[in-house]
Amino acid sequence: MTTFFLFIGIAMCVLVLLCLYRATMGPNVLNRTAGISAIGTKTLIILLIMGIVYDRIDMFVDISMVYALLNFIGCLVLAKYLERSREVSC
Amino acid sequence: MIRDSDDVIVKTLARLLMPFIVGFALYVLMHGHHSPGGGFQGGVILAAGFVLLCVSFGLQWTQRWMTRKTAELFSSIGVFIYGGIGVLCLILGGNYLDYGRLSRVLGVDVAEARSLGILGVEIGVALAVMAVMCTLFFMIFTAVDESGGQGGEQ
Repeated sequence: MTTFFLFIGIAMCVLVLLCLYRATMGPNVLNRTAGISAIGTKTLIILLIMGIVYDRIDMFVDISMVYALLNFIGCLVLAKYLERSREVSC
Repeated sequence: MIRDSDDVIVKTLARLLMPFIVGFALYVLMHGHHSPGGGFQGGVILAAGFVLLCVSFGLQWTQRWMTRKTAELFSSIGVFIYGGIGVLCLILGGNYLDYGRLSRVLGVDVAEARSLGILGVEIGVALAVMAVMCTLFFMIFTAVDESGGQGGEQ
């Protein structure tokens, strides 16, 4: 079962690289924001899989909850900034 | 100046999420010695909840409870709690932050006095970190407004 979760984790890391490409090379700001947000959710899953692999799931659940919270607030602040500063040119 | 957001979803979500953020921050603060976390992390989560309130309800609404002066007062109080516990241990005849000496003041045995002393120090650290994070947030978001570069909507 550990091998199964390990392979899921490796696949998630490859998906994070794809999202990173969109976040760095994105045509406009909205693509970058969506890429960063997707990287945040994938990192959360990777943390939980690490918890299962290392058999310390009780610790990693705390860390991933804080990560989800900060990711949400970060996205909200970024959206607020874009709303004010008219930089979005779709 | 961050204005009031007129989005119902953001406001409702902030209102629903705020008690859980504060509860989780207190959990991280109290369980700092047997799970990841501690004073600094608890304070950062508290400040994140404050930033969420500020973004969704506007800076004017938030400053009814936490102005910059209150934040500076709280950071001083946090440092005072940390230093006060350390100096109290020094007065009682131990080293600086030697919590075992607090057992005479608190009326418990030495092991429990150590646990309570660490908890008190972490509460001080959390207060100071929360207040300093709020001060930084205020400074950043009012400096942009005073220069007049970005906030040209009013």
